[in-house]
Amino acid sequence: MKVFTDHRGSVHYRKAPVDLTLIVVLVIALALFFDFTNGFHDTANAMATPIATGALRPKAAVTLAAILNLVGAFLSTEVAKTISGGIIREGDGGVLITPELVFAGLIGAVVWNMITWLLGLPSSSSHALFGGLIGAAIVGAGLGAIDFPVVVSKVILPALLAPLTAGLVAYAATKLAYAITRRYDGKPDGRDGFRYAQVFSSSLVALAHGTNDAQKTMGVITLTLVAANLQAPGSDVQWWVIVTCAIAIALGTYMGGWRIIKTLGTGLTDVKPAQGFAAETATAATILASSHVGFALSTTQVASGSVIGSGLGRRGSKVRWRTAGRIGVGWLLTLPAAGAVGALAALVAHLGVGGVIIDAVVGVIVIIGIFMWSRRSEVSHHNVVSEVADSGRAVKIKRNPKPKRKAKK
Amino acid sequence: MIDWLDFLLVLVSALVGACVVVSAYALGIRLLTLSGRTPLVTPAEFTDAITIVTPAEIKAAAKRAAKAAKKSPLTEGQKRLALVGAWGCFALSAIAVLVGIYLILGEHLTRLVGGA
Repeated sequence: MKVFTDHRGSVHYRKAPVDLTLIVVLVIALALFFDFTNGFHDTANAMATPIATGALRPKAAVTLAAILNLVGAFLSTEVAKTISGGIIREGDGGVLITPELVFAGLIGAVVWNMITWLLGLPSSSSHALFGGLIGAAIVGAGLGAIDFPVVVSKVILPALLAPLTAGLVAYAATKLAYAITRRYDGKPDGRDGFRYAQVFSSSLVALAHGTNDAQKTMGVITLTLVAANLQAPGSDVQWWVIVTCAIAIALGTYMGGWRIIKTLGTGLTDVKPAQGFAAETATAATILASSHVGFALSTTQVASGSVIGSGLGRRGSKVRWRTAGRIGVGWLLTLPAAGAVGALAALVAHLGVGGVIIDAVVGVIVIIGIFMWSRRSEVSHHNVVSEVADSGRAVKIKRNPKPKRKAKK
Repeated sequence: MIDWLDFLLVLVSALVGACVVVSAYALGIRLLTLSGRTPLVTPAEFTDAITIVTPAEIKAAAKRAAKAAKKSPLTEGQKRLALVGAWGCFALSAIAVLVGIYLILGEHLTRLVGGA
């Protein structure tokens, strides 16, 4: 043990350098894996509707999303700087962030992400991260470590209101798109033209995702480096952190996401091009407006709200409320479930280096186990098209419901 | 302290922004169809689309579009005007999207340019 004083003058005890290096390396590895799983989850946010409507081929869509996530990750570091601010009280009366605590929180987030990925259930990676960190902090320093008013105003309320906002916006935009292009004389309406627009609207969502979600991991790694006294508090994110996080999220986006694309694109509602364009635009507009006022949003929740809203905005379409309910339950469970796993991991991590290693081993076993289980019914770009097309055929849809108003003769 | 005004701001700005982009693009498509150039997506472009479009369906759609264009009550001048209007609407929609991109990256790019 070494005794040291931080920049606030508080005295702390630190483990020997070898232990610290080991823990920091483990945290960085796990943070990058979290970034990777984030990519796995969130490909669907931008690309589910263009794939469902046929605006983009699945492989092309996932590649485009990966590239835009990579580019987006380099474009800002603001979220990375604020990731740890507010939710967990630091300093006097609060909790001192340690690499072990961050590691335990990450274990909670990663395990919950993997479970929801396996079930094809959209959950929020951001909320999984917040939940994991909160759970670990409560075990590490008690309930007083959490700034609950901030959690309510910055996490819980936006989580409830953002999907509703996106759904309402998507509903209105879909109604407008159909009303403007509707022909009462039975002549072609040209709605296939919305497929071209979708390529751009979905790209905007993918780029926005890259500028936000990769930053969360950058923030966690920077926090760990500061906690380990390897970086000065308040300093910029280091370039190697930006590069590795950008690559990790892009790889995750490229290699995963098929399972959730299937749920979001066709499990909720059958998406038509005009509807898909409206949903994508509503998602992008909601994320942009929210970022402007500083809400930390889940892009998954916003995208799901838009898909449901646009489904309701289409005449003769049917939203599968059972699937929608499953998604809602996934959202509600994310924070407490990730918090519970994070808390459990923090309890073990309290044992010291041995505890952290136990956490790491158990986490790896769970992740590999879930991954191997998921391989039994693998969904990839080779079979996702036919599966999705088949499910599309299985549902009876009124292809061209007759307009209520008759054309003037 | 919860700032409810921020939530209202998000709702109104997202609603207005999305509706402007979608309405402008939809109006563009409407005008493009009026000008006799109905957008048709061929199966060659989207071979693995979920909404399956067969070559026969595309052929029938093209035939319907050509027939509708032939029976259009608009004069050639009005059709040209509709075409110009359509591209104007697409441009307006694109500008609105670019404004959105600027909202994401503008501050960062300004800082980058300022720092260079």
